[in-house]
Amino acid sequence: MTPAGALLAAHDLRKAYGPTNALDGAEFSIHPGEVVAVMGPSGSGKSTLLHCLAGIVPPDSGSILYNGHEMATMSDARRSALRRSEFGFVFQFGQLVPELTCVENVALPLRLNGTSRKEAERTALSWMERLEVDGLRGKRPGEISGGQGQRVAVARALVTNPRVLFADEPTGALDSLNGERVMELLTEAARSANAAVVLVTHEARVAAYSDREIVVRDGKSRDMERIV
Amino acid sequence: MRVRQWSRDLGMGAKFAFTGGREGWSRVLLTAVGVGLGVALLLLTTAIPSALAARDDRAHARGDFTYSEMKTPKGDNTVLVGKVDTTYRQRDVRGRELQPEGVRAPLPPGVTKFPEPGEMVVSPALKELLESGDGKLLRERVPYRVVGTIGESGLIGSQELAYYTGGKQLASKADGGRVARITDFSEGETYPSDGLDPVLILLILVVFVVLLTPVAIFIAAAVRFGGERRDRRLAALRLVGSDSHMTRRIAAGEALAGSALGLVFGAAFFLVGREIAGSVEFFGVSVFPSYLNPSPALAALVAVTVPVAAVLVTLFALRRVVIEPLGVVRTAKPARRRLWWRLLLPLGGLAMLYPMMGQGKNNGEFNEYLVTGGVVLLLIGVTALLPWIVDAVVARLGSGSVSWQLAVRRLQLSGGTAARMVNGIAVAVAGAIALQMLFSGVQSQYTEPSPQDLSRAQMQVTVPSATPLASAAEQFTRTKGVRDVMAFSEGWLGDRRKDPNRSSSVAVGDCAALREVAALPSCRDGDVFALQGGEYDTDTPKLADSGRTLYIDPGYDDGERGKQVAWTVPRALKQAESRTDPTGTKRGGFLFTPSALPAKAGPALRGQVYLKLDSSVPDVYDLVRNTAAKIDRYGDPMVWTSGERSDAYSSIRTGLFVGAACVLALIGASLLVSQLEQLRERKRLLSALVAFGTRRRTLSLSVLWQTAVPVGLGLALSAVVGLTLGTVLLKMTDVPVSVDWASVLSMTGIGALVVLAVTLLSLPPLLRMMRPDGLRTE
Repeated sequence: MTPAGALLAAHDLRKAYGPTNALDGAEFSIHPGEVVAVMGPSGSGKSTLLHCLAGIVPPDSGSILYNGHEMATMSDARRSALRRSEFGFVFQFGQLVPELTCVENVALPLRLNGTSRKEAERTALSWMERLEVDGLRGKRPGEISGGQGQRVAVARALVTNPRVLFADEPTGALDSLNGERVMELLTEAARSANAAVVLVTHEARVAAYSDREIVVRDGKSRDMERIV
Repeated sequence: MRVRQWSRDLGMGAKFAFTGGREGWSRVLLTAVGVGLGVALLLLTTAIPSALAARDDRAHARGDFTYSEMKTPKGDNTVLVGKVDTTYRQRDVRGRELQPEGVRAPLPPGVTKFPEPGEMVVSPALKELLESGDGKLLRERVPYRVVGTIGESGLIGSQELAYYTGGKQLASKADGGRVARITDFSEGETYPSDGLDPVLILLILVVFVVLLTPVAIFIAAAVRFGGERRDRRLAALRLVGSDSHMTRRIAAGEALAGSALGLVFGAAFFLVGREIAGSVEFFGVSVFPSYLNPSPALAALVAVTVPVAAVLVTLFALRRVVIEPLGVVRTAKPARRRLWWRLLLPLGGLAMLYPMMGQGKNNGEFNEYLVTGGVVLLLIGVTALLPWIVDAVVARLGSGSVSWQLAVRRLQLSGGTAARMVNGIAVAVAGAIALQMLFSGVQSQYTEPSPQDLSRAQMQVTVPSATPLASAAEQFTRTKGVRDVMAFSEGWLGDRRKDPNRSSSVAVGDCAALREVAALPSCRDGDVFALQGGEYDTDTPKLADSGRTLYIDPGYDDGERGKQVAWTVPRALKQAESRTDPTGTKRGGFLFTPSALPAKAGPALRGQVYLKLDSSVPDVYDLVRNTAAKIDRYGDPMVWTSGERSDAYSSIRTGLFVGAACVLALIGASLLVSQLEQLRERKRLLSALVAFGTRRRTLSLSVLWQTAVPVGLGLALSAVVGLTLGTVLLKMTDVPVSVDWASVLSMTGIGALVVLAVTLLSLPPLLRMMRPDGLRTE
C-alpha cells in the first residue's frame, strides 16, 4: 500500500469535527527532498490533512507511516518528540513568540531539544544568514515586517535540519513579491537540506514551486501527477 | 467644541462596547463584573459603620439596666426585668424575665405581648437552634414554651440568640443588678460607654484604608480587562480616519460603558451581598440586611468616581500604545520608567505621618486626614514602585531554561501588566503586615493577662447566699465532666456592727478547699485560721485577737444592711501562710472550717465554686451551666481563659480578618481573569508552540515563572513597605518597635498562596488552549 521509498505516507485517513467530515479517506505520500503542494478550496480539509500528517491531531481512522513507523498509535509524548526533532513548521502568520528576539525565536526549537543557548543561537544565526534576515537578530517580532517575520519563521522551521517541513499557507499573509521571495528561500533551503516539504496552499503560483500537487476536496485527495 | 467632541467620542465608544458583537459584549461584561464586584465590596465596607451604629441604636432602644443608684418606685407603668443571660457553645444568649407591674408597663421592642411565666418569646435564630438537635442542651436551661418570636426591632442582629420569658416574684430581687424596675426600655444603658481611645481610632482608620485601597486598585485593573483585543479593534477605526486622540477617547468610552454597567452590577451584587450578610454571623456579630446602608453621599461619590476613574485610567493606560491603521498595533519600545516621582509618593506619605510620631495614646487625637492621606500615599507608592522594580529586576535576569527564558522575556516586554496584576495583592499584604505589627505592638495595652491558674480550675460559679453551698457543690460533683469541686462561702467581718474601722474577708470551706488558699499547719473541722501574707491585707493581724468580738457581715451607714452576726475570736485561732489561690491572688482574712462558723452567719455569705473539668467531655461547659441554672437562674458561670482581651480591640482585629479575606478573594478573582485573558490572547501561539514539539510542562512552567517573579518582587516590596508603615504607626502610638516575623511570613505566605491557587486554576484552561484546535482557521 505504501509507495516504495516514501518518507511519509498516509492511507484512508478519516477525521471528523462534529458532523463535518474534514477527511474522508484521504491518501498521501512524500519522498525525501520532495516538495508536495496540497491544494484545495477553503474548508476542503487540507489543513486537517497537514495536522494529521504532522502528528498534531490524531486521525479517527486510517494509517500514517513515518519512516516505516505507524504514527497513529504513537503516544502524544513520542509524537511531540518527533515534531521537535524531525519536523519543522511554518504557519500563515509566522506565530513567532512576540517576547523573544528573532534569533531567540529561531533558536527555540533547538533549545527545546536540549541544545545549549550559545550553540542554539549560533546555529540559528547561520540559518538567518541563509534566509537573509541576520540583521534582525536583536529585534522582536513586533518590530519587523510581515515578510521578514515569515522568513524568520522559515529559519526557525529549518534550524533543526528537519526531514519534513510542514508549511501551512506560508505566504497567505504576504504580498506577491514578498510571498515569492519567501517561497524561493523556503524551497531552496529545504532542497539543500534534503528536507521534504508538505506545502498547504490554495494559490497556484505558490503550488508552482512544488514537484507534485495533491488536491483535496470534501476530505478526499487526488494525486495530480498520476492523472497527468 | 472640545466638550462636544469628547462627549461624541465617548458616546461612540460606549456604543461600540454594546454593538461590538460577542467579543465587545464579553469585554463589557468582564469589565462590568470586575467593577461591579469592587463597587459592591466598596459599598458593603462603607456600610459597616452604619450597620454597627444601627446595632448600637437597637441595643440602646431595648436597654433595661441603668446601673443607677436611683430606685424607681413601683407603678402601673413599671416592669420588672430580670437578667438571665447565658452562654451556649461560646455564643451569647440574651435572656430577660419580664414581670409587668401595671397596665401601662412598657413592652420591650419587638415584643407585642408579655409572656406568662413558663412561656417565652424568642429570636428567630434561637427558635431555630432550639428546634434543632444542636439546641438540646440549651433547651434544658430554657425549658419554657415558645409562644412567639421577637420582631426585628428588638434584636441587634439576624443571628442573635435572645428570649423574653415571663417572671414572677421578681420584686424582692429588684436590686438593680440582677433585677431592675424600669418605666421605659430606651432609658437603659446597655453598658457604660468609655468611647474609643485615639489608638483604636487610628487602628480603625488604617484598617479601612488598608482594605479599600486594594479594592480601588482592583477597579482600576478591571477597566483594563480585554485591552489587547480592544486595541486591535481600534486599529480598524484608525484605518477609516480616526486620529489617535479620538481613538483613545473612543477606548475610554468603551471603558465608561463597562464601568457604568459595572455600577449597575455593583448595586445588584451589593443587594445580594446584603441579603447574604444578613444570614451569616462573623465572629459573633450579625446584622440585618436593612442595617447595611451606605450613606447617600458616599454612594453618590462612588457613582461619580468610578466612571470618571475608568476614563482616566484608560487614557493613562493608552498613553504609550501607538495604534496605527492596517490592524497593526505597535507597542513602542517602553520608555525607561522614571523613579523620582514614584519615590515621591511613599516619601510624601511618610512626611504626612511624621508630625504624629511619638504622640501616643495620651496626647490627644491623631489627625485623621493626615493618617488617611499618609497611609494611602504609602500604599499607593507600592503600586507606583512595583512596575519600576519589576522592570529593573527582569532587565537583569539572565536566560536559563526555555520556560524561564519565555517568562523573563515576556516580563521584559510587558512588566507593567505583570506588576498591575500583582499590585492589589502587594498593597493588601503591605497593609496587613503594617496592621499586624501595630496590633502586636499595642496588644499589651489592650490585652490583660489573666492571673487565674487554669491548671487548678477552669470554671467559677457564684452561688447565692440563700442556697446551701454544700448541696450546690454536691450537684456540681454529680455533673458529667466535673473532676473536682472547691467550694467556699465568702463574706466580710469587721470590728463593729456598723461602719467598721477595720474589716477583713472570711472564707469558709472544708480542709481540702482551704488548703487551696493557704498552707495550713494542721486542719480539722472546727478550726479557724488567720491568714498571714495576704495581698492588700493590713487589718487581719489587728483583728486576730483572741477573745475579741467581731461582726460577720457588718452594716453601713449608706443604707447597706448586713446580718451583723457576732463572733468571738477563739483562743485556738491558728495562723496560716497565704498561698496563691486558683484565682491568682494571695488572699488575706480569716479561714473557717464549716462547724467553726456561727450558725446564723450562713445567709450572710455568698458561695463561690471553683471547678476542675475534664475537657475531653463534649459540651462540658454547657453541662456545668445547666447545673448552675438549676441552682440559680440569674447566675452566669465564668469560663476562665488565659487572657482577657479588650472587646474593642478584638472587634477591630475581627474586622481586619474578615475584610482581608474578602479583599484577597476579590484580588484572586481579578488575577484569574487577567491570566485567562492573557492565555486567550495567546491561544494560537500556544497551539503553534505545541505543534513544533514544545512540552506542555515547559509552557506550564513558563506561566508559573511569569507569575512567580512579579509576585516574589511584589511580596518583597510589600514586606519592606509594610514594615516601614508598621514602624511608623508604632512610633506614632509611642509603642516600642518590634517586628512580628511570624505575621510577616504568614501574610506574605497567604499572598503567595492566592497566586499559587490562581496559577493552578489557570492550568486547565492553559492545557485546553494548547490543543491543536487553535491552529484551525476555517
